[in-house]
Amino acid sequence: MDLYLLGSVSWLDSQLIYHALPRLGLEGLILLWPESPYVCIGYHQDAEQEVDLSYCRACGIPVFRREVGGGAVYLDGEQVFYQLVLRRTHPLVQGSKEALYRRLLEPVVLTLHDLGLAAGYKPVNDILVGGRKISGNGAGEIADSVVLVGNVILDFNYEMMVRVLRVPDEKFRDKVHKSLQENLTTLRRELGSAPDRARVQELLVRRFSEVLGPLTPRPLPEEVRLEAHRLAEERFSDAWLLRRGMRLPVRRVRIAAGRQVVQSVHKAAGGLIRATTEVADGRFVSVDLSGDFFFYPPRALDELASHLVGTPCCDAESTIAAFYATKGIESPGVTPGDLAKVLSMLR
Amino acid sequence: MKIGPYTFPDDLYYDREHNWARVDGQTVTQGLTDFGQAIAGEIIYIETPRVGREVKQGEAFMSMESGKWVGRVRAMVGGRIVAANDALEFDSTLVNSDPYGAGWLARIDMADPADLGRLMRASDPAFAEFIAAERAKYQK
Repeated sequence: MDLYLLGSVSWLDSQLIYHALPRLGLEGLILLWPESPYVCIGYHQDAEQEVDLSYCRACGIPVFRREVGGGAVYLDGEQVFYQLVLRRTHPLVQGSKEALYRRLLEPVVLTLHDLGLAAGYKPVNDILVGGRKISGNGAGEIADSVVLVGNVILDFNYEMMVRVLRVPDEKFRDKVHKSLQENLTTLRRELGSAPDRARVQELLVRRFSEVLGPLTPRPLPEEVRLEAHRLAEERFSDAWLLRRGMRLPVRRVRIAAGRQVVQSVHKAAGGLIRATTEVADGRFVSVDLSGDFFFYPPRALDELASHLVGTPCCDAESTIAAFYATKGIESPGVTPGDLAKVLSMLR
Repeated sequence: MKIGPYTFPDDLYYDREHNWARVDGQTVTQGLTDFGQAIAGEIIYIETPRVGREVKQGEAFMSMESGKWVGRVRAMVGGRIVAANDALEFDSTLVNSDPYGAGWLARIDMADPADLGRLMRASDPAFAEFIAAERAKYQK
């Protein structure tokens, strides 16, 4: 299989080349990193809803819509990217998505082992070290190919990641920041210093060749450069970036597989209820409830929020109803069902 | 017809991308099969096509996302798109909960009925073989 070791490339090429290969019917493994930072959103995301575009413009941070799934991410040269393009008929991309991710992410897990880290795969597409994500991945079909893209995170600018997102309020931003700090790690954090990018690249090549077969380093074909150039005009336009994507009644930032910070709002007869929560593997990790409704006795709303922590999200209504009965809660126009509804929107 | 836990209505046509087609005169309604939605998992978003667009048989004309995976939906017949299921924009899980009903994807005004000859029926032995192979591949 063809191997393209491109090293440091422009931020735009760090996205366009893997979009160009499948359009030309070519397979290959690309390893590179961007020479400057940018924000990259998932194919179906709504840029205006997900990203603070004004802030990005003011800071000169480009925003790009990729053709694979997942959420908005802040990318820079402190991440080594691997981008694998295989035809849809390739034996390695047959079967379930989980099997595909597990199979194709094994080289990344083993690369991290080589670096001395006890990394493991977590379905559906994360790689964790000590319970924290160290590699993010997404995949999708482009033309007649399957494309897997991901990164090994050497270092991470948590502040910028949180700053470029569009969030409902600063409290939500703080929660996302805290959750990212707790649940996303880097090689620098784990090893004390970030290894050389060339070293990470060398290990990735060796480990990917064990799965893909012999890898032959090649210069990028001119036809790929031309196709990337052609795509640039279309993909760097506002029409492409700002096209309507999914607009959800909740604001959701996915931190890692099974873990997300979510804010949702529900208008009950007694007033507006707002919930900001962190959910991991179907249970509440933290809950903050607020709004313009009455809830007696005083401070009971905070107690209810604390009471929900650790409980399964699917049991929210019964947990809340039991709390109402035990504490003698009065909340005119707001029922346990209303509170459960705002929490059920977190699914 | 039932194959394992999956339903494949006898009156529909099927392709190898896990789509079904219901033919009503020149109009073909297309959707994802029960098996197709099962292997996709919970579908979090579907991008519906523009009405009026011309498509060729086998051409990718829609996309759907599940599990950080963007998959393409290919047209079962060539022709002009005459309707898209806009309800999916608000609840894409209709494809999971009611794949042969409320979860339909698009309607195409078929250009050439010969396209149907390249599709399968649930009663075809080749279809049962195909689904058996797919179930083994996906362990479903």
